[in-house]
Amino acid sequence: MNSPQPVSMYESQKKIYPREIGGRFANLSKLATVSLLGLFYLIPWLMWDDHQAILFDLPARKFYLVGLTLWPQDFPYLALLLIIAALSLFFFTALAGRLWCGFACPQTVWTEAFIWIEQFTEGTRSQRMKLDKAPWSWNKLRRKGSKQFLWIALSIWTGFTFVGYFEPIRELNHQFMTLTVGGWTAFWGLFYGFATYGNAAYMREQVCKYMCPYARFQSAMFDKDTLIISYDEKRGEPRGRRQRSVDPKLAGLGDCIDCQLCVQVCPTGIDIREGLQYECIACAACIDACDSVMDKMKYPRGLVRYTTEHAMHSEETHIVRPRMMVYGALLLVLVGSLVTSMALRTPIILDVIRDRNSLYRELPGDLIENIYTVKIINQSNDKRDFKLSVAGVEGIHLDGVADIVAVDGGGVLSIPLRARAERKSTYGIMKIDFIVEAMDDSGDRRVEDSRFLGPTP
Amino acid sequence: MVSEEYRGTKQWSRDKQAVFTVIWISFLCAAIGTMVFFAIFDPVDLIGIFDQDLNIDRDAGYAAGFFFFWCLSLICSGITAFLVRTAPKRDAIHRE
Repeated sequence: MNSPQPVSMYESQKKIYPREIGGRFANLSKLATVSLLGLFYLIPWLMWDDHQAILFDLPARKFYLVGLTLWPQDFPYLALLLIIAALSLFFFTALAGRLWCGFACPQTVWTEAFIWIEQFTEGTRSQRMKLDKAPWSWNKLRRKGSKQFLWIALSIWTGFTFVGYFEPIRELNHQFMTLTVGGWTAFWGLFYGFATYGNAAYMREQVCKYMCPYARFQSAMFDKDTLIISYDEKRGEPRGRRQRSVDPKLAGLGDCIDCQLCVQVCPTGIDIREGLQYECIACAACIDACDSVMDKMKYPRGLVRYTTEHAMHSEETHIVRPRMMVYGALLLVLVGSLVTSMALRTPIILDVIRDRNSLYRELPGDLIENIYTVKIINQSNDKRDFKLSVAGVEGIHLDGVADIVAVDGGGVLSIPLRARAERKSTYGIMKIDFIVEAMDDSGDRRVEDSRFLGPTP
Repeated sequence: MVSEEYRGTKQWSRDKQAVFTVIWISFLCAAIGTMVFFAIFDPVDLIGIFDQDLNIDRDAGYAAGFFFFWCLSLICSGITAFLVRTAPKRDAIHRE
């Protein structure tokens, strides 16, 4: 039996710079980075009707979501949306592990983009290490300088694009070009730019290891059927170096040639062969690295692969399982209620406040009068006419308000008014309804109850 | 570690971990707090309560609110992290 010996392949390995190996998942990650960043920078520029398609207009206190306009009063929708987003993350984590971390998390995506810039300006890993050690020269200054320039430019672009989700980006762009950006806008743009720079240029995966709560919570969502990246211990062990010509079975070796590539490519610096660790962000770099080695050794791929704990132990993997059904059912209920309530949403808000300073007033002609302040909020984008009326007491009618009131799109109309009813039809505290109806074909109406006070004989 | 060197990051010290974790988590909490608070209250209305003549616009109101919440959550999670990290060790308690 031959004892395993390092061969030329391992010697030349010192010159292999892991991240440049590439592979299926590296390509997938590139695709995800390009498309997600593309969406991020593009979306604020999309228009819908005459406004930005997605705009959380904080200065005007209204949110545009494509054809929908939301107001501060619609906050429950936003809260529901956030809960749905969180639950979806649980759902997909239980199903597919940390796919989010490896491919879609902003931390990963921007880090990837910043590394591209680094590679573009400073070259491969060894070139960078050499450059760092070298004394300052024109070449070093040029490479380092252009890296910083591109990093900072991308950071500032990112920061101001982010602000463009909260303030109209076209105006922002104009202000930016003419250097007339307002104080707070500039501050937030630079703030987020700086955060991007710090996170993607310097902190990188340390954020995932030390600062991310999701990374620590994930074990609660994992089970034996969750898709994870795992090293096939049964196949790989005992690991050891060998010549390519050696039959591992005869040498008493597993398929792992202990080349350390999977460790070297890991952005969080773990050894996947030690099993699932919370530091693992499922970037799949180790799969690419191992597959490339398996190809060279002419062994089948997949010594490190996407799998589940059950599959690893030759048991059946269950996609449908109680956990998935619970997450799924909750998700369905929440999405269902969001869609239903959005569909049934009437874009009118009616607010009735009874004047607390007086109980009631007796008027000549045996009339009883109560005073109210009524607020009509028109949540649509267009000016609309409304008819305001009151019901609940026989003969009750409004005084001090026109038959038809117009409210601007997104406007609030506050009307002080009096409701009057004949004394004989009032008795103590009575419940009345204020009704506002849109004077168009929409059939939109809102009813709000209040109290009408009369004398108790 | 080779790859960390390659990625331009190094293992963080315990102090650095604590500081950045406190900053980040308190930022998240402040963001949630600001969102909920200003969904209910309009900064313009609030400024009116304190000082009618104060000439602050909505943007400044949001910013002030956010930094108020951030300071609050920084103090909270900062002190918590400090106390947890500097707590007497169990055997030290037994010795007394």
